[in-house]
Parts: sequence; structure tokens; C-alpha cells
Amino acid sequence: MAIGLMEAAPNAEQMQEGLSLPSGIKPSRRQFLVSATGGFMLQFCLPGLSRFASAAGVPAPTAINSYIQIGTDSRITVLFGGCELGQGAMSGLAQIAAEELMVEWTQVKSALAPLGPITYITGGSSAIRNNYLPLRQAGAAVRMMLIRAASNHWGVSVNQCYANNGTVIDAPTKRVLTYGALALAASKLAPPAKPTLIPDAALRLIGKPLVRLDMADKTNGRAIYGIDVRLPGMVYAAVRHAPMLGGTLASTPTNRNGVTFVNLGTAVAAVAGDTHSAFSALGEGDDDGGGSGGGGFKWTTPPNAAQIASTVFATQAATIMKQGPVLESEVVGSALAAKSTSTTTIDATYSVPYLAHACLEVLNCTVNLTPTFCEIWAPTQVAGWAQAAAAAITGLPLAAVKVNVTYLGGGLGRKLETDCIVQAVQIAKAIKKPVKLTWPRQEDFQRDKYRPMAVSYLRGSLDSSHNIVAWWNRVVTPSISAQKGFITAGAEDGGAVEGAVTLPYAMVNRLVEFGPHPSPVPIGWWRSVGVSYNAFFVESFIDELAHATSQDPYQYRRRLLVNNPRFLAVLDAAAELGGWNTTLANGHARGIAIAETFGTVVAQVVEISGASATGLRVVSVACAVDLGRAINPDSIEAQMQGGIVHGMGAALWGHITFANAAASVQNFNTYRLVKMSDMPTIKVKILPSTNPPSGAGEPGVPPFAPALANAYFRATGIRARSLPLFPAASHMGD
Amino acid sequence: MVTLTINGVVQEVNVPSNEIPMLWVLRDIVGLTGTKYGCGIEVCGACTILVDGSPRKSCQMSVNEGVGRSITTVEGLSPDGVSHPLQKAWVQLQVPQCGYCQSGMLMSACAHYNSGSNGDGIEIDNLCVCGTYQRVKQAIQLAATL
Ligand code: FES
Ligand code: FES
Repeated sequence: MAIGLMEAAPNAEQMQEGLSLPSGIKPSRRQFLVSATGGFMLQFCLPGLSRFASAAGVPAPTAINSYIQIGTDSRITVLFGGCELGQGAMSGLAQIAAEELMVEWTQVKSALAPLGPITYITGGSSAIRNNYLPLRQAGAAVRMMLIRAASNHWGVSVNQCYANNGTVIDAPTKRVLTYGALALAASKLAPPAKPTLIPDAALRLIGKPLVRLDMADKTNGRAIYGIDVRLPGMVYAAVRHAPMLGGTLASTPTNRNGVTFVNLGTAVAAVAGDTHSAFSALGEGDDDGGGSGGGGFKWTTPPNAAQIASTVFATQAATIMKQGPVLESEVVGSALAAKSTSTTTIDATYSVPYLAHACLEVLNCTVNLTPTFCEIWAPTQVAGWAQAAAAAITGLPLAAVKVNVTYLGGGLGRKLETDCIVQAVQIAKAIKKPVKLTWPRQEDFQRDKYRPMAVSYLRGSLDSSHNIVAWWNRVVTPSISAQKGFITAGAEDGGAVEGAVTLPYAMVNRLVEFGPHPSPVPIGWWRSVGVSYNAFFVESFIDELAHATSQDPYQYRRRLLVNNPRFLAVLDAAAELGGWNTTLANGHARGIAIAETFGTVVAQVVEISGASATGLRVVSVACAVDLGRAINPDSIEAQMQGGIVHGMGAALWGHITFANAAASVQNFNTYRLVKMSDMPTIKVKILPSTNPPSGAGEPGVPPFAPALANAYFRATGIRARSLPLFPAASHMGD
Repeated sequence: MVTLTINGVVQEVNVPSNEIPMLWVLRDIVGLTGTKYGCGIEVCGACTILVDGSPRKSCQMSVNEGVGRSITTVEGLSPDGVSHPLQKAWVQLQVPQCGYCQSGMLMSACAHYNSGSNGDGIEIDNLCVCGTYQRVKQAIQLAATL
């Protein structure tokens, strides 16, 4: 197996013997592993995404999921129990550990930890946010142990020894020992209960735009994604799902032309000697491909098929909006009573559609199943769920299921799901051979766990000085947590109103309500989740209030943010970067918006030109971000650029509709995304901060859509209250 | 059995049919997985390779069409995997995010580079879902100076 990433990983046996330093803080048992390289390894637990995990009803990880390994050659490897889906987390985390280890960046390697029983989740922009302090503590612990080992060796006081550039130095005599030489001795010491962190003023690596560790492999074909995994004797599988959501395979097709079919209930799998043969056997790539029923298979029609339709969903949403039931998500004062004291009341209804994740790497999973062991290779954001799912299908204990997390060709929340992994294990069980399952692109679009649709009613009541005396917002959307069984159906769901509650603006009375929508369309977490739509609703509506009272939308926001210096600073930075007060070229217009996502505040100024009823050009985006202490500013800039491009495709063209229980999109040719020629110039400013770091992966997305819609209004006088702006222009390619 | 020249190496390849797309021959049979599958319908460009120096989407190119021609994949961009000016520029400017599109992006950029153009590659229509375009354009211009 040529997964270079895994080379330095400990084996399962070592992992079981290994002893943990839970959360990197309190060592429970005082022992370290001597690794195969003869160095040592500190094991500890990173919390990963605790906010997300608790919302999803998943216990926070407590088992070992991360390691710092020092070889006798002094090379340092940081293995962490998450995944790398392009956000630069692997490098960012290694950068934090390297800081405390006092080593040069060139000495450090980063890798994904192999999976023991862990519950680490990569999502919610959490990798840096939640792991920052534990990782610093773990790095500091290792450094202190190496120093102690050196002082023991020399028989001198620990206080006269210090770490420098991968060595320990005895100050009076200038004697030097390398980390590699000390590794074995250090591994026999107890980790300090309270590691001493490097003071802020002495930080060398944190905050520097270091070159990410995964760059070279991503420019020469050596990076191994899930879809690239190859096992000896492996066969290739693909699936085709029922053309309608809820449909099932009516009869298992007869094997033909060397292709074996496996009945997966809601899908049929074809197993062949190569991916193309498997795709062809399913009729994928035929002109009628995807959901229209190609491939000649017989499917049952679900009884409620006609009800799974966008027109039905819209009617249901309108009814709930009018009659409820709704739940109170946030109540401050009395928004309904306060309306009567206002001089101006404005209201509007907004909506957004379902969206696809459309990761460029389609879902895939490779499985080697024997009667006693199940090994999985998958691009997954949550290896622990994959492991549990495989254990359930195979009847094997968790310890007999190993999940190898590969590089992810995009995750965007879709690879938090285990549907494809479950299928791969089922296929492996049926055919008894190592197998790689690859979803054809059509299946990826037809069976996404879509970003939910949402409809939002907003009402703002202003006094004669344009202060918001009452704010009422009712959001009707399906609950992801309820559909996944994490909360009961119809219960309050904080995720659905994220971005609609705890707004930064001065509002005297506010009421935010959530109306759970009953749509059965499978939904999931999409980059920035609830904020992806609530920021569009709220920030567009704030713009409407500014316009109704003839105020500059930037200055109006400044007024409303008077008691919120953090937001104000970000807003000002974006306005300055975007030249808000400078003269616009003919036919150009600007819009502004600000939103907080998972603790990170982002404001954007979007400038457009050539706006018409059928399209526009995004000329530039100025983006200011406050995410606490910036670990790697270059990675943060990249994440902002990526978030903006993501938000742009969705705002301009992105939509999935449903009719007769089938999704409208089969492939990228009808799901347009931003390409090079659409690309605006993006400028990013990171506000300096010494607060703990927060996430970068998602917060770049939400402000774009409202800033764009606000610019569009300025250009055309048309208030875009539903996304995308140009659904008819969603074709791509020839 | 067909004879293919891939990254300068002439090799006999056992293919299930002469119509199988080059993409799957490279990935599943030859074992060069740098070339990626994204859409299968010539829209995303993840599968871009060079055929006699011209960029070609390998998902809709039958293996037959590659016979007697010189095929270059991302693995063949440079002998050591790091020394092509595009590779150097890509690393220097930290272009890849998830990296999945980058093989195809680099092969399109390679054709642009070989043409001697001093543009920023705006005509390249490869899809990058991560949104690395701004850096791709900068790296294309940087590579021309390396
Ligand atoms: S896979 Fe060939 S263009 Fe998308
Ligand atoms: S880097 Fe992820 S798709 Fe381009």
C-alpha cells in the first residue's frame, strides 16, 4: 500500500499499549511509547469538534487520537486524528506543535493518525479552533521532557538547560544534545502535569505564512486520495440508486459480461475489473444517465413520490410561515408589542434552495474484509462513524475495524456522512474480495445530503431616529439534526437559526422563531451550515432597512454596531479595503455584508459590473476577517478566497429542485460553478488579534451572497430575495 | 493489448476494450492515479492530460486514440516531481487546497506554459471547487519567470 502518509504511523498493537495524555494536559498514565524508529512518541487526545459533536449527540473523543513522534534522527512527526480536506489543518496543527517544540519547520512532518476507536470529527471549522491549546500543551510537554532528559544525562540542573532548534543546550558549558539522541531517555520520563507554554513575544512559527506540508505531493500526483487507493486483487464497484428518492431495486439483475450485481436495497452495485466497466454496466455515462432510469433496472416507485417536489415544499413552507408550528429560538424584550411604538415597519420574505456539495472527488470507499478484520480506506471527515457503521454491518468488534483516512478531494460537510462507506462494506461482504466503490458523478448529485432549503420572514420596526425597536424573524427550514435523529422531530434546533440569532446589531426587542419543515429530502451539513442562508436573509434585510430610511448601508451598519467594537473593526476594515467611499466606475456597484460563523467575523465588500436581469460580473471582493490569533495567514487567505468562490457559485447559479422524487441535477453541466474566467480579484485582510484562534474554513462563505445581492440592488433597483440570482444561467461547459 | 507511450515510457497495456476511456486505463490499469475523475463528461477538466502536447480531457478519449501518440500525465511533468517551473510556482504560491483538481489544472497550465504565452491562463476552463483560481493565475505568471 503506497499511502506515504501512513508510513510513520504506529500499528494497532502499539496503539493499544499506548498511554494517553488526555487533552494534552493531565497525563493519566505516565509512560510513552518507543516507536519503531527507536525514538519516542507522545500520545494525547485532541478534542476535535466538541460543539458539533455535542449538537450531533456524539461524545467528545477521549481516546488517543494524536501523536508527536521524535525519531532518533531528530525528525519530528505530528500525527493527528482528523483529516485534511484542503483547509491546511494538518500543516496548521504541526505548525503549532513545532512552535512549542522549538524546532525548525523543515524538521517537521505531518500525517494523519491511524484510527483506533476515536470519535474525532472534522467539521465546523474546528481543527485549529479546538485543538490549539491542547496541541501547544502537548508540544510543550515534549520539549520539557527532552530538556529534563538532557539535564539528567549531564547531571546538571534542569534550569540551566534550554531547547534550541531541535537540540538541548547546557547553558554554562554550551554542550549540545539533539532531540534524536534524547528521545529514548525522554520517553522514560513522566510528562509534566502543567507544561509551560512559550510566551507570546517569543513565538517564531505561529503567525507565519509557512509553506504547507502537503503542497509538493499535490502537484505531482503523489497525494493519495480515497479514490486512488489500490489493493492487490482489488475489484472495482460502482452504484446506481433508484431514480426516485425512497425507491428500491425491484429485482436483482443477472450477472453479465463479467459484471457482478449486488442488491443494496435503495441501489444496485456493479462489480467489475475496472471502474469504467462498472459504470457502463450501470448505464452511467449513457445519454439518459442518472436519475432518469437508465441501465434497464427495475425499481419500485415510492408511494409519496409526487409529494417530493419543490412546488409542494414551497406550499408547505408558506403554510408553516403563516400558521406555524414554530418554536422560539431567541426572545429579547417583546418584539411583537414594540412594533406599535415604531414609526416605520418593513417586512420581506426571502428564500434559498437546496444545494449540492459537489466535492470534486466523488464519494468512494475501499474495503478489505476478512472473516476477522475489516480495513477501510476512505476520504472521511469522521472516521469514528465509519468505523461504527462497518462494525455494525460485519458484526466485528470495533477493534477489528480499521479506518485509514486518506486525503479528501474536498469535504464541504458531505464526507461527514457514511452512506458510501456502508455500501462499500456491504459490497465487500457480498463479493468477498477487496473492493473499491466509486460513485459516478450522477449519483453524487442525485444522492447528496443537500444543504436544506430555507424560507425566512423578517420584519423590522424603526423609530423616528431609525433605531430598530423591534426585529421579528421567522425561519422555516428542515432540521438536519432532527432528520439524522440527533434531536426529536419538531424540536428546537439551534443549527437551523445559526446566523439569525445573537446578532451583533443594536436591536431593542427581538424575536427569532424556527419553523421545522417536514421535507423528506436528505439533508446535511454544507460549508457554513445555517449561517449560509441566515446571513443572506439578515444582511439583505438590514440593507433594505438602510435603503428604506435613505441611509448608506455601511454607515447604517456602523450605527447599529456602535456597541460592538469587534464587528465594527472588521466592517471598517472591509469598507476601507474595498474602497467603499471611493468613486465607482460607470456601471459598477458595491454591496457590503458582515457575518459571524463559528466564532469568526468576516465582512465583505463586493463590487460588480454589467448587472442585468440575466447576469453580472463580480469585479472584486474585499474581505476582512477576525479569527483571533492567525496561525498561518497564507492558509487563512486561501480559505477566504475559497469560501468566497464557493459562496459566489451558490449565489449566482446554485440550486437543486425536486420533481417526482428526483433531483434536477445529474452533473456539472447543469450545476455551474465559478471558473477561472468568472474570477474576481479578491483581497483579504486579517485583523491582528491575540484572542484564541477560531475557524477559517467556512466563515468566508456567508457574507458573499448578501453583499452580492446588495450590490445588485444598488445596480439595478431589483431586490433579490431568493437565491440563486440567475437560475437560468446554470449551464456549464458546451 | 495496446501499445502506449506514457510519460516517455513505451508499454504494452492490457485493456478490456479499445473503447475504454484513457482516464480509466491510466488510473485502474496502468496505476497512474494522479489523473482524476470528476464528471466523466468533459466539463470539469480533472482528467486533463497532454496528448502530443495538447491538453485533452481523458474521460471521453478512447484508449485507441492514444495509440501512437505521446501521453503526458501529471506524474510526467518532471522526473523528480518537484522541478518543473509550474510545480515550483505552485508550491511557492501555495496553490492547492484539497488538491484534487490540481493535476488537471497543472496539465492545462503546462500547455499554456509550453505555448510561451505570457498571459495568466484565464482561458483555462478547469473546475476548482476549492476556488484556487486567483493563485493559479499568479502561479502561471510566476512559472513563466522561473
Ligand atoms: S472527468 Fe473528464 S472533464 Fe471531468
Ligand atoms: S484544490 Fe480542491 S478542487 Fe481545486
